Amino acid sequence: MTQNTSLPISRRGFIGGGAVAISAAGLNARAEAAPASAVDQNAPHRANVRFTLNGRSRELTADTRLTLLDALRGPLALPGTKKGCDHGQCGACTVHIDGSRHLACFTLVAGLEGREVTTIEGLAEGDKLHPMQQAFIDNDAFQCGYCTPGQIMSAVACVKEGHARTDTEIREYMSGNICRCSAYPNIVAAVKQARGKI
Amino acid sequence: MMAEATPPVPEPGENMGKPLPRYEARAKVTGEPLYADDLQLPNPAIALFVTSGIARGRILQIDTAAADALPGVLKIYTHLNAPRREVTKHYTEGGYVSDSAVPLGGPDIVNDGQIVAVVVAEDFATARDAAHRIAIRYEERSPSATFGSAGAATIQPDALAAKSKKAGDFAGAYAAAPVKIDAEYSTPTMHHNPIELFSTAAAWNGERLTVHEPSQFVWQLKNGVASALGIDPENVEVRDPFVGGAFGSKGMMTQRSPLIAAIARDLRRPIRNVVLRDQGFTLATYRAETRHRLQLGATRDGKLTALSHEGWEVTSRQDDYSVAGIEATTEMYACPNIASKVSLVKADRNTPGFMRSPPETPYMYALEAAMDEMAAALAMDPVEFRRINDTKVSPVTGAPYTSRSLMECYDRAAATFGWNRRKAEPMATREGDWLIGYGCATACYPTSMMAATARAILTPSGRVEIQIAAHDVGTGAYTAMQQIAARELGVDPRMVSVRMGDTAYPPGPVAGGSMTTASAGSAVKLVCDKLKQRLGGALPSGRELEQAFDRLGTRRIEEYAEWTPPGQGKEAVQALYKGQMGGGGGAEGGKPKPLMYAFGAEFAEVRIHRLTREIRVPRLTGAFAGGHIVNPRTARSQYLGGMIWGLGQALLEQTELDELRGRYINDNLAEYLVAVNADVPEVDIIMVPEVDSQVNPLGVKGIGELANVGTAAAIANAVYNATGKRIRDLPVTMDKLLDVPA
Repeated sequence: MTQNTSLPISRRGFIGGGAVAISAAGLNARAEAAPASAVDQNAPHRANVRFTLNGRSRELTADTRLTLLDALRGPLALPGTKKGCDHGQCGACTVHIDGSRHLACFTLVAGLEGREVTTIEGLAEGDKLHPMQQAFIDNDAFQCGYCTPGQIMSAVACVKEGHARTDTEIREYMSGNICRCSAYPNIVAAVKQARGKI
Repeated sequence: MMAEATPPVPEPGENMGKPLPRYEARAKVTGEPLYADDLQLPNPAIALFVTSGIARGRILQIDTAAADALPGVLKIYTHLNAPRREVTKHYTEGGYVSDSAVPLGGPDIVNDGQIVAVVVAEDFATARDAAHRIAIRYEERSPSATFGSAGAATIQPDALAAKSKKAGDFAGAYAAAPVKIDAEYSTPTMHHNPIELFSTAAAWNGERLTVHEPSQFVWQLKNGVASALGIDPENVEVRDPFVGGAFGSKGMMTQRSPLIAAIARDLRRPIRNVVLRDQGFTLATYRAETRHRLQLGATRDGKLTALSHEGWEVTSRQDDYSVAGIEATTEMYACPNIASKVSLVKADRNTPGFMRSPPETPYMYALEAAMDEMAAALAMDPVEFRRINDTKVSPVTGAPYTSRSLMECYDRAAATFGWNRRKAEPMATREGDWLIGYGCATACYPTSMMAATARAILTPSGRVEIQIAAHDVGTGAYTAMQQIAARELGVDPRMVSVRMGDTAYPPGPVAGGSMTTASAGSAVKLVCDKLKQRLGGALPSGRELEQAFDRLGTRRIEEYAEWTPPGQGKEAVQALYKGQMGGGGGAEGGKPKPLMYAFGAEFAEVRIHRLTREIRVPRLTGAFAGGHIVNPRTARSQYLGGMIWGLGQALLEQTELDELRGRYINDNLAEYLVAVNADVPEVDIIMVPEVDSQVNPLGVKGIGELANVGTAAAIANAVYNATGKRIRDLPVTMDKLLDVPA
């Protein structure tokens, strides 16, 4: 998990007595410290990015490590997009980029130059809900509601992709979004209600 | 014939309210900031935990120099400079914490994934980068991971021994029984994995502390944080209007909350911490792995004569947490001779805690699997076997069930499912390359209640605001409170607003034990009654209401009420204000307490591929009776979600443990398998009308934890019917079926 694996890394940290163990990588306290000279090389870089967010042009000077998810939930103050795993495994952070579904946790803000981002906050037209939002209400397609923004963004894309023709197809193409409350059959019913209206 | 699935908005049956859409439905589909980490704090710094890479040992050295040097890092806390906190006891011992091991309390490592450092930085990317630059040297010792590990001690604390239930002479009756079953079962470690990550945000304003944290019990968190920081609870406010799933994991305060609050105090800056998904596997509780031995004896005509249930559960070194589900399993069926016992196995793990139907999920799985084995041994239909042994009283104490619609549930579900097409002989039903099996099992969940308090505010416009610090974890609690208030006051539900999940409001019950609707709902009913009485027994409308306000010389009428369940006194309300759970109803007039349970019957069809042993569950049918149903739409969703949980527990869910290192292997959502949409078949829900006027004034039983009980047994029993093989260790996976003849 070291940022730049090509850096020369001191092996000294690994040497110890027989009873001394050193943990593996990751936030489980990794073993080695990068040498002091590497710190500067790994110091944050910033990039200027201009993109469209929910129909509005935004300009950001962003840390190149900043994900779209953390930007939305932090400086951009649009917390409708949810963090459920930060690893592309749960789908809670699904947004649309240039009209197709993407995981905001896997998207770096620095790479958004000229792209068009839509989040759950940008789906309704004023007070008028998107047909998929209405269908989720009508079919009780959520319980706690935490995965719901991602489910709805995926569901809209699923229909647009042409992957909502049968129940089996909807189930398959909605399986990247985990609903731990397990409203799945109601989500399928919602997609079926909305698919003709999108 | 496949039954048509019940629609998401069912027609209300007898003794059911209206299927209103959820109170907060629009806010949830538009992404409004409802959840704890959505709430904004001014200029927060970001805290990120660093967790131990070993399960047992000691930190020899922790080098933070490279991390400290990173621009944007504010401070790194380790056991060498940790902010001071008061040691508080486990909540079962009168304290507040779910695990009494104090993070950053010293160099010792007592379990995998323990907090060993906290990085505080200007933003998350910097904190994460810095966390990777911390180097730790450990002295590692061999941990005792689980059952059978060297050094894992088996104990039976007195409190647990007292829970053993006995009747008649089990040993004698079992020895004499003409038909016997003696089988061992196991359930794996499981993690709740709500999609909302655990988080804590803390901000100080002078002496006052505000905490935003997902919580199933905000008044517990308020008092717990105060106790750990040694401050007055009056100075702590907890806000969490909506919980993004919890299932027990956000019930009792963890050590994270006071740690983050203490760091915010130390740095004089608001702190926001989100626990990463993998960290959540060790920084919250979990469902511990269990083992069971079931011995059943019966007469040849199917009457149970002897039942023994022995259970073993894993817990931590520091706390004796247990679920002891023998309470349910020994009282489920008529049987004159009963024995039971639960033991704990102490291992180097963090302390487990409650997860959706904590006792019933593992213990009823074992009982219902054994019941199916006995039915097979008797060559008897499993539904008929349960009918023969159905009871209206506790076989242990003789106390009556207040209502028990178990066989009605079986009959309704069996008819819808098409149970009469089942062939008793295993491997008798095939369709192409698929072996088909049917199975069934009983679901049950006890009706528990806690004290609750509520406030109601009425204005001359006729608008009512209900305030109660209860919690909506996805259950539909806001909607239920809105409906109960509207019904009691005789007003349109749209005139009722509900405020919950905030210690600014009077305390409600923990969102656990399926208690919210019965407990918080009873307090809401009571406060609405008091409001009506202020206005002469009924709420006038329109001009008359305006005139009533004029007569009273006010523009606002406020009432407050305290409700205690039968058998509990004023002290239960006092406990509630201290964030403690109080206790269930006591004995009434010396007679044994009546048994209060919701019941269900679940049926599953499984298909197992002859060659690959792929296991599919194309359909599930469940019928449930839970007393008065306030909202059939949200109730159906609870049942639906519960049965799908049960499907996951049968086939998918298990936290895998590296037994050598005492560490979890699959601590992420790609490898800890939960059901996804493609796993979920047709699920048919039947709501059986039931009236129970004894449980509480609303006639409400708890249902949120009912439907995930029994499902795993129904599916495992269906696997036997399909293949002739008993899989007694959950989950049922393909590798366990490799020796089934093709």
